[in-house]
Amino acid sequence: MTTRRELLAGAGLAALAAQLPVVALAQAKDSVTIAQTLEPPTLDPTSGAAQAIREVTLQNIFEGLVKVDRTGKIQPCLAESWQIADDNVTYRFKLRQGAKFHDGTPFTAEQVKFSFERAVAADSTNAQRQLFTPIAEITTPDPATVVIKLKQPTANFLFGLAWGDAVIVAPATAASNKTNPVGTGPFKFVRWNRGDRLELARNDGYWGEKPALAKATFRFMSDPQAQVAALRAGDVDAHTNLSAPEAVPQLKADAKLKVTIGGTEGETVLATNNAKPPFDNLKVRQAIAHALDRKTIALGVYGFDVPLIGSHFSPLHPAYVDLTGTYPYDPAKAKALLAEAGFPNGFNCTLKLPPPSYARRSGEIVAALLAQIGINAAIEPLEFPQWLERVFRNKDYDLSIIAHTEPLDIDIYARDGYYFQYKNPEFKALIAKISETLDDGARNELYKQAQRKLAQDAVNGFLFILPKITVVNAALEGMWTDWPLPVTPLAELRWR
Amino acid sequence: MIGYILRRLAALGLTLLAAAVVIFVVLEILPGDPAAVTLGLNAAPEALAALRAEMGLDKPAVLRFLLWLGGLATGDLGQSYTYRVPVLQLIAERMAVTLPLALMAIALATAIGIPLGMLAASRHGRLTDAGVMAFAQAGLAIPNFWFGLLLVLVFAVGLGWLPAGGFPGWQAGIGVSLKALLMPALALALPQAAIIARVTRSSMLDTLQEDFVRTARAKGLSEGTTMRRHALRNALIPVVTILGLQFSVLIAGAIIIENVFALPGLGRLVFQAIAQHDLIVVKDLVMLFAGLAILINFAVELLYGLIDPRLRQS
Amino acid sequence: MSAVQDKAPGGKRHWWLAPSFVIGIVLAMLVVAAALTSYVWTPYQPTQMMILNRLKGPSAANWFGTDQFGRDVFSMIMVGARNSLAVGLGAVGIGMVAGTALGLAASVRRDGILDHIIMRTADFTHAFPAVLTAIMMTAIAGPGMLNAIVAIAVLNLPYFARLSRGAALQVWAQDFIQAARAAGLNNRQITLRHVLPNIAGILVVQATIQFALAVLAEAGLSYLGLGTQPPNPSWGRMLNEAQTFMATQPWLAIFPGAAIALTVLGFNLLGDGLRDAVDPRLRRAR
Repeated sequence: MTTRRELLAGAGLAALAAQLPVVALAQAKDSVTIAQTLEPPTLDPTSGAAQAIREVTLQNIFEGLVKVDRTGKIQPCLAESWQIADDNVTYRFKLRQGAKFHDGTPFTAEQVKFSFERAVAADSTNAQRQLFTPIAEITTPDPATVVIKLKQPTANFLFGLAWGDAVIVAPATAASNKTNPVGTGPFKFVRWNRGDRLELARNDGYWGEKPALAKATFRFMSDPQAQVAALRAGDVDAHTNLSAPEAVPQLKADAKLKVTIGGTEGETVLATNNAKPPFDNLKVRQAIAHALDRKTIALGVYGFDVPLIGSHFSPLHPAYVDLTGTYPYDPAKAKALLAEAGFPNGFNCTLKLPPPSYARRSGEIVAALLAQIGINAAIEPLEFPQWLERVFRNKDYDLSIIAHTEPLDIDIYARDGYYFQYKNPEFKALIAKISETLDDGARNELYKQAQRKLAQDAVNGFLFILPKITVVNAALEGMWTDWPLPVTPLAELRWR
Repeated sequence: MIGYILRRLAALGLTLLAAAVVIFVVLEILPGDPAAVTLGLNAAPEALAALRAEMGLDKPAVLRFLLWLGGLATGDLGQSYTYRVPVLQLIAERMAVTLPLALMAIALATAIGIPLGMLAASRHGRLTDAGVMAFAQAGLAIPNFWFGLLLVLVFAVGLGWLPAGGFPGWQAGIGVSLKALLMPALALALPQAAIIARVTRSSMLDTLQEDFVRTARAKGLSEGTTMRRHALRNALIPVVTILGLQFSVLIAGAIIIENVFALPGLGRLVFQAIAQHDLIVVKDLVMLFAGLAILINFAVELLYGLIDPRLRQS
Repeated sequence: MSAVQDKAPGGKRHWWLAPSFVIGIVLAMLVVAAALTSYVWTPYQPTQMMILNRLKGPSAANWFGTDQFGRDVFSMIMVGARNSLAVGLGAVGIGMVAGTALGLAASVRRDGILDHIIMRTADFTHAFPAVLTAIMMTAIAGPGMLNAIVAIAVLNLPYFARLSRGAALQVWAQDFIQAARAAGLNNRQITLRHVLPNIAGILVVQATIQFALAVLAEAGLSYLGLGTQPPNPSWGRMLNEAQTFMATQPWLAIFPGAAIALTVLGFNLLGDGLRDAVDPRLRRAR
């Protein structure tokens, strides 16, 4: 809407000026309207886990010391540079000079200390508090330097600082960020019409390169029909992740639009209760793995190919190994394994499904596939809070389907009391070693070992990676098409 | 008379209190932790405890119930667990969508339903009657959300005249906002109009058989006067009842229709709040809906007396 | 005013020959037949997935096309008929019997204690929007067909209670009730002999509306994912799943929606025909 009105205003001016060439119209376009499926519950990434908060605020309103680029690499942000001492636990960050919060407060080392101490405090409501627990001490030798000492070497500490949970906030505005976010980023908050749209404007006092766009609007459209209609009508210039995969062929046929199927860190798994008979039996889990025709599942859910996985790891990461062949689709072998395990006639169990459509849809197909080998999985749909309570917290489940969207989260299999109930000391030792290994090459080798271990043990049914279906106006450049971290950096967008 | 009204008011108060108890107890039983929903899969136990304390969930249930009641009485509906803003503000924002939607739907439904019903009754057994009844049958038979989908298919996907869903907000202009509400209101109104047409017609036909109407006719009053002066008045009793009873149906319809058209209204808010375990919003909204329905029923009861003098005497 | 006095219709036409009644019977029987046939025969197994054959349009092989999992839509609609009929009958049956009994009991003494208790309870139940009741019931007990029946019956009950009370009050206010009382009939006898027959017509009309509403409500609940669960097909859930395919595969939304609409239409027309048969006053009017 905004863009149209501005175009009209531009046209009016052009008509008045009369001599101005028509090109002026195209140049006048410095705003963008981006649709996304879910609306953030609040605008503070440090007090909630909802991905939608990160999608709109991270690298736009708020910034961390470092940031992740579109290939997943760590880049400087509010920290210009950093050094890790030979002890592997002392990080020395040199901070950006001249950066300011949107309310004019200068950015200094004090705010870094404040932000991290707030995140790890006893009454912290940070959703990823574990990112900060390795911190032993934060010192600020001068306003442009922060030294963080860790309790033990933590390989992914720096990566964690790029997450939304680690953005730098100012003491005076921290409490009100939920509804009136004040950060250091290239865009500042203008207005939020709850249920409909969020408006941002360029931060003219930004420390870095000036963004090409002066205005950006996020529109929250959960209805697939509305998403498609808005894209085709040009009411929105892009959709960050279309929730209607079935509309892809239709949108691909539209020359005005560009559709990309990209990857994410969302490993979708058939979560299995490894402590509960008969799923504690490796043969039963292997039988399930052989029964899962991943290609069919992905096709039934999306209608096009999405990356398939054979372990809990995203192909976006350099350490990824393709393990989809570990237990290939083979119903006969699956039946034989079930018989060996003592279930020649199969058995009954439940399949508890959270609300997202990828889970509900793949659940129906998985149930049908399991029925082929004699496992009768009764589908039980749950609302997300009930899923969290019953499946995740109380482990009251047999099978479930969910995507684990946190980046590099293979360590969840080493956590005590995690709902998969996979108890393997060897794997735990491996994860501990990964955490201490700061050398990328060596760490990636260990990651590969960990992936293989999970695949062989058939801990869960490993299905596919959630795709990121990006649809953009063909004239809009710079939109991320993969999500190593779910963000939509507006500063990288420009009109051609 | 005053005693009667006082007794009714006392009953009303008790009903509202009972509703509050039921809502609170049901939501207590509902499994799930609002703090866990906010903080997700990686949440530390300390963080969950801190957030629960911040949300006031660490207090005993009875105390929370009393605090909630006290809040309701003083107009403080608490703070949303999900959005972290006062619930009153959320409701006010969403009301700006749902209220116009419901009013448009009721207006459309009555404006279509009552005249059609009267027309059919006055042309009983003729082609017009059959036509009206066919319309009513179709209106009753078509699920309103399916009708909504068909409207989208024709007017949004096909012709591109109206937006497929969403709401631009009133500040974007009254025209575009009303345009966004037109299809949802129509979808919501169709079955209501059909019901009203049917009930008006059948009630008119019943009334036309009554002795006092026959008397009126026998006195030589014209058919039109008979209908307006005698029949309509009495025929309206069931229509008013139905209108009152339809309020809940309208709310139920709004929950579905707002989801079909992705409208940021109260119906969608309550649906999302249940999905996200924003229990304080659910509590307040269900109480609001229930309270409104109870009040409307109360009003219908009073109207009964006004319309039918015979009932007033007892 | 009793039905016995009424002779057969004035001769112009018979109620059972009314075209709408005939259409109603045909449609209703069609749905019942589809539901019954589905127990012994469907073109395909309704749960059989053929992913490579997904989203095919209507053809000789799949009369109503296939869905996103390659299942035969025609077979699913046949089996879905069972579900809609069962929920409709169960919910309206429970709601009408219980609701009318309560409404009649309440009407005997207007503003009596019983009247107050019953009507306040009815107000109370009715005050909760049905969808909310159902959503909360399913959140606690889990979604499913039985919960859908109970939730819709709970919605029906106060309708019948209020309507039967309102209509019965009008009857109680009429002169012939005094005559009946003078003749020594007690309240129960008057209710059964005079009140119930006099309000039966409006109850039947309401029951048809309620059956329609019950099938619609079931579709609505299933549409929201709160009704019968997969792999058992239900028309409402089919519509929900079809919504995202509206622009490209509209048959997925059109056939289940039409099935709902025609079922409701059939039973409504059937009910209307019965109304003409049941209601002596209207019949005499012809």
